[in-house]
Amino acid sequence: MEAIRPPSYSAANRDIIRVMFTPSAAYLIGLGISVALVGLLGFCLIPEVWWGMGMAGTNNASFWGTYIVTFVFWVGIGHAGTLISAILFLVRSKWRTGVYRASEAMTVFAVMTAGLFPVLHLGRLWQVYWFFPYPNQRYLWVNFKSPLMWDVFAISTYFTVSAVFFYIGLVPDFAIVRDHNKGLISKVYNILAVGWRGTNRQWHHYMAAYGFFAAFAAPLVLSVHSVVSWDFAMAVTAGWHSTIFPPYFVAGAIFSGCAMVITLLLPMSYIFGWKDYVNEWHYDALAKMCLLTSGILTYAYATEYFIGWYSQNPHEWEIFYWRATGEYAWAFWLMVFCNCVAPLPWYLPKLRTNPWVLWIIAGLINVGMWMERFNIVVSSTAHGFDPAMWRMYSPSMWEVGILLGSCGWFMMYFLLFAKTMPAVAIMEIKELIAAPVKGKLEAK
Amino acid sequence: MASLNRRDFMKALGLAGATAASATACSWDDNWYRTPVEEILPYLVKPEQVTPGTPTFFATTVTSGPDAFPLTARHRDGRVINVGVNRQLVQAGEAISAIPKAAHLELQKVYAPDRIRRPQEAGSDIDWNTGLEKLAGAVKAAKASGKTVAYLGGYKSGAIVELLNDFTGGNAVFWEPVGRAAEATAMETLFGSRQLPVYDLSEAHYVLSFGAAFLGSWGGTALASQFAHARNPNHGHFIARMGLVSPHQDQTGANADDWVATAVGGETAAAFALAKLIAQQTNYAGFATAILGNVDVNASAAAAGVEVAALESIAKMFVEAGTAIALPGAVENTDLAIAAMLINVVSGNIGKTVKGGGYSGPLHTSGDVAKLVADMAAGKVGVLLVDDANPVYNLPPSLGVKDAMAKVGTVVALSSHPSETTAAAAMVLPTSTAFEDWGDEDVSASTKLLRQPAMTPLWDTRSLGDILLTVARGAGLTPMAAPAVASAEGDEAAETEAATDTDAPAVDVSPLGFEPANWRAYVQTRWERKVWANTDRSVPFAQWWIRTLQAGQFKTAADASLTPSAAAYSPPAPAASEGIGLHLHLHPHRHDGRFATAPWAQEVADPMTGQVWDAWVEVSAELAAELNVKDNDEVEVSAGGQSVKAGVEVYRGLKGKSAALAFGQGRTESGRYANNRGVNAFALVSGDKKDSAGNVLMVASGVSITKTGNSADLASTFGSKGDSDGGRNWGVSVNAAALAKSGDAPAAHAGDMTGIHHLPRDQRLEEKQRYNFYNSPQKPNYRFAMTVDTNACDGCGTCAIACYAENNLAIVGKSLIKRGREMNWLRINRYWETVTDENGVEHGDVRFVPMMCQHCGLAPCESVCPVLATYHNVDGLNAMVYNRCVGTRYCANNCPYVVRRFNFHSYVWPEPLHLQLNPDISIRTMGVMEKCTFCVQRTRRVKDAYKDQGFNTLVPDEALRELPACAEACPTGALTFGNLNDEASVPAKSRESGRSYVILSEFNTDSAINYLAKASFHKPEAAHHGGGHGGGHGEGHGDGHHSGTADDHGDAAHGAAAGHDDHGKAEGASHGHTDEHKSAHPEGAGEHH
Repeated sequence: MEAIRPPSYSAANRDIIRVMFTPSAAYLIGLGISVALVGLLGFCLIPEVWWGMGMAGTNNASFWGTYIVTFVFWVGIGHAGTLISAILFLVRSKWRTGVYRASEAMTVFAVMTAGLFPVLHLGRLWQVYWFFPYPNQRYLWVNFKSPLMWDVFAISTYFTVSAVFFYIGLVPDFAIVRDHNKGLISKVYNILAVGWRGTNRQWHHYMAAYGFFAAFAAPLVLSVHSVVSWDFAMAVTAGWHSTIFPPYFVAGAIFSGCAMVITLLLPMSYIFGWKDYVNEWHYDALAKMCLLTSGILTYAYATEYFIGWYSQNPHEWEIFYWRATGEYAWAFWLMVFCNCVAPLPWYLPKLRTNPWVLWIIAGLINVGMWMERFNIVVSSTAHGFDPAMWRMYSPSMWEVGILLGSCGWFMMYFLLFAKTMPAVAIMEIKELIAAPVKGKLEAK
Repeated sequence: MASLNRRDFMKALGLAGATAASATACSWDDNWYRTPVEEILPYLVKPEQVTPGTPTFFATTVTSGPDAFPLTARHRDGRVINVGVNRQLVQAGEAISAIPKAAHLELQKVYAPDRIRRPQEAGSDIDWNTGLEKLAGAVKAAKASGKTVAYLGGYKSGAIVELLNDFTGGNAVFWEPVGRAAEATAMETLFGSRQLPVYDLSEAHYVLSFGAAFLGSWGGTALASQFAHARNPNHGHFIARMGLVSPHQDQTGANADDWVATAVGGETAAAFALAKLIAQQTNYAGFATAILGNVDVNASAAAAGVEVAALESIAKMFVEAGTAIALPGAVENTDLAIAAMLINVVSGNIGKTVKGGGYSGPLHTSGDVAKLVADMAAGKVGVLLVDDANPVYNLPPSLGVKDAMAKVGTVVALSSHPSETTAAAAMVLPTSTAFEDWGDEDVSASTKLLRQPAMTPLWDTRSLGDILLTVARGAGLTPMAAPAVASAEGDEAAETEAATDTDAPAVDVSPLGFEPANWRAYVQTRWERKVWANTDRSVPFAQWWIRTLQAGQFKTAADASLTPSAAAYSPPAPAASEGIGLHLHLHPHRHDGRFATAPWAQEVADPMTGQVWDAWVEVSAELAAELNVKDNDEVEVSAGGQSVKAGVEVYRGLKGKSAALAFGQGRTESGRYANNRGVNAFALVSGDKKDSAGNVLMVASGVSITKTGNSADLASTFGSKGDSDGGRNWGVSVNAAALAKSGDAPAAHAGDMTGIHHLPRDQRLEEKQRYNFYNSPQKPNYRFAMTVDTNACDGCGTCAIACYAENNLAIVGKSLIKRGREMNWLRINRYWETVTDENGVEHGDVRFVPMMCQHCGLAPCESVCPVLATYHNVDGLNAMVYNRCVGTRYCANNCPYVVRRFNFHSYVWPEPLHLQLNPDISIRTMGVMEKCTFCVQRTRRVKDAYKDQGFNTLVPDEALRELPACAEACPTGALTFGNLNDEASVPAKSRESGRSYVILSEFNTDSAINYLAKASFHKPEAAHHGGGHGGGHGEGHGDGHHSGTADDHGDAAHGAAAGHDDHGKAEGASHGHTDEHKSAHPEGAGEHH
């Protein structure tokens, strides 16, 4: 399969920067819809603050519902970005180059989206600062035994590290943008580029820092979603209390993240005409990654069922049996279809490069991974230990509004990113092209 | 900000609160709004007797007539906020320790927002003088025109009966729609004296019910207490067995061990057949032989729709029990009451379980009411006073009471509770409630109760006695010549005797007439002349009166004998019923509808179905299949020319073509909580069915049920409509014979009867005590704990209501319960398991399991709270800091017992219901988690009280046992509180019992609540493994075959369970089958010890 095919350094600069700062009508409409959805999020939040969490569909058994489902979903989405940008950097995988910038942006925005939910799912969200262990006159302290407290640190660390890593990667590109523009834009990007001149000395320090942050971010890929999985695995609730959760969640996160990268980058590369930079090579790799993680997920699902049956634990078996046969069976089978069956066509190499097939399957995976979290978060509590307290949950229109609003929030940032930052890492692309040196080297 | 001083700030705060309240207050059904802002202001001049933060207790009496019950009223800051057990009487052994459900509901009705607050005529307010003058004028006019002044009210006793009889010239009718007059008639027929029998279930080995809700809302709280005593294996090595011969298993019937399902209306025929069978077995040849002479067992059994063999088996058990008792039916029926009493007679239980000396006050029948209605329709009644009866709602439409009321000169409603009858009355003169009024009750020949006002009337109401006295004087009435109360003559005779025996001065014993100045004086004078006069009078009356008021009850010795004297009576010819039968019965909370106006009676789930705020038609599985209906489908039920539409609940406690509907809903003029909820079952009473005494039976006939095709809007708190706990061992039963033998002997001696498979724990970790990861407090004084005896629990729900009353639990209403957000801290799980007996016959086994916070020592909720809002306190309580809670709800998700309740909104108490709130507990606002606290405000109070006596003085077990509201209210002693660190406490000792189990013990939550398994007469005896093996084949195995999900659990887990503790390894995996193991260890215990 062909690699990146940009003709030259200057062409790379031109192609990537060309699309910036020139919003088309379609772009503005898309951005408008996203902003409107953010407005919807705010609007749906008002009654929840004013009249209480009862505006959601949660009940005395199933206390979390859509908010936590969506929280885990967005945290998971983020992981592919860090995997691609940090781990694939460390293992010197070349195909990451075309996609890592957009993936990283996706990570940052996904974590920002995810971060909304632990706050807005609180019964008294105006007390959210109580989560932080700050010294106070009331001698109140937080409970470091609580997985939610681990979440606070895991998510904030993850956000900080990804944002910094994202920014470091952008510095040389900001300098290119600065150099290719005049006036205000140049001035702004001059600041953003923090004096980048591309000297040898700068490159030397830069590459050391980049490697350091890549190494720093790499374990987070595994740790953050492990911590998120502990929200469930540390609980006694049947269907949650499982040692398989950390690897299972990390695999699911990478699965959903890679699918999301396809979902976002595929239309982007077509619209921006970046066939030379983001193409079948990347999609093929991402699809393979999805296939691998889909296999891991399928195995995890099967393992859960096997252990549920093999342990002879009536609570375990009840919940797994019920997930597949009870009122939420539609969600379970939708999850199985989307996560285990839908990616299978990608075993045919041809289908890993067909944009329509790619996009549809990636979309299905996104749906399936949301359903997976729904299956975990909602069904276990809705069908708990006491049959007398089985309660069905269905989201209220306010929750649906907030779910849609969170997509708008994410898309808003992503669209702004696409027009204000080089969505493909120009300086890394150049590493794949022969340097523009006079003489024979260039001819090769 | 400098210009805003504190006062202005407070004003602004108050204004903001008021604005928020008025702007966002919704209809009560969506009973929540934004967090209210309220002002609190201290007393400027503190009233005497009121110490802020300290309750005062007044002895009082709640409910009336034969069910009257001595209690205390807990008074705080000028109002009664709760009722409590009268400890003085309990300690003296003169009263049982319980709070009738009715007492809580009556108290809530005091604060009902829709109470009538001042006199009204034709819907507009009038003042008292006008009202009383009008009434006096109407009475005078009626007397002048030769018309009668009549009274219709519920059961009453004591002074008010005498006054009413004087006032009406004997035209007072004391009647209840589902009352006990039939029993009085039966007593009159068989023993020649019209009084209620005194039932004593406490030593009965067999209790046979024909449907009477004696563990629900029928017959007074003492019966439930006695039944629990008879079921208690520690009282004399027997466990009472209960038989039910009725078409329907209600909450009471669900406790039955043997259920013979008759056709609807077939109880009477079955009862006579049983009486005959029992008489044959006991070779009875007494005075009642003639009555049974004509009874044909086969024909009766056929008419009742039961097999003769089934009746024979009941008869055999009844006779073999020796001490046994038969109780009447679900609705009043003279023939059934006679048949049930005959069973007691022919089995020789009169004097043993059924005694005389019972309530002898007026108990009028529906025949008496029909006569009154006929008089009214004929224009013979000039003034009709209606008190707490609700004839417009309670009487069958065919009787035409509304039309008859229109023909009465003046109908005056003397009640402050709005009802269909007050709406139809010309004038309403609101009366004070029992908590605001003087009064007394003669509940039996031996027991008299006294009632004093525990608070000033909330509204402009007056006492019924005062109204009658004022009007009598105003109208110039003359009292009746002879005292009306039957027992009065006896009293006078006794009085003369007593007078001669002592040196005390002679007392005035003349009738009171209308002479006392007011109602208080009337009651006091009556007690002076009729009660104190019969004592030895060694204590001056003034002193005796205060002493008796403080006690609330006065007991005398009384003759309890019964003299047989058979009147002419022949049983009705058995007639088989055809088609669909509709069984009407009392609702355990709402009774006959009198408590429908109390939101607790609507909000607290029906014990059998979990239904709230509605009426539903229970249909048998067979009938449901025939009608092609499922749960929550709407059906139209027609009977007696009326039809109603209600939702369906497919119900296991019905067989054949039977349906059932509870009384109590379908009110239309009774305020916001009762109006238009469900349907009125009384409307379906055809009125053409009468018993042999000519009284209309409150039954439906000519029933048809059709599916409408619509969905109903029922709301149930029961999550799973499946009846089983799925082998999870939440509700456990054990072999009754084995339990009776061993009692609550320690499992070390009696063996583990529950047969629950405990998962093996790692020996090494056990030795190192590493099962608790965190350090426990060193030698704490207390570990508060509770024991729940599911064998005693009859599912009545009194504890749940008491919990609402004590802990300010929010009423959320139907729409929120439908969304699964009830706020009950204590729920009663009802499991309806199938138990296969040794002969392979399947029996239904209902287990009520009260479920509240387990106060786990290693609580899963605590570790997950990010802000430490829930934590463990030094008393072993799982405490909850509402103010610290941010509402992540993680604790609730992680509670395996699902007992935590989240404030999805801020809930409101419509005025003046908020006056009843317990000031010891804060009101929780939205976004905060809450749950059972073991009534921490009570434990804290009693701890402090004992600490005042000395720093190291611990609260003794006796002071803890019934401390929490649920345990205090429980009539059966199913809930016992205590200190687990005190080895002598009930919870500590009961943990050793062979039938003790801890729910979800495999989670190592170290729950503070242990449950005691229920006795089942059908359960095969579990193989005892001694202390060493941790269980044989009990529930998990036996039930596993029926319960689906846990099918495979029994055997495999058994293999795993074997050898779970220190003795276990020897037996290893060889525990294949019950039988094998049983033969290897016939007695279980001993071998390993």
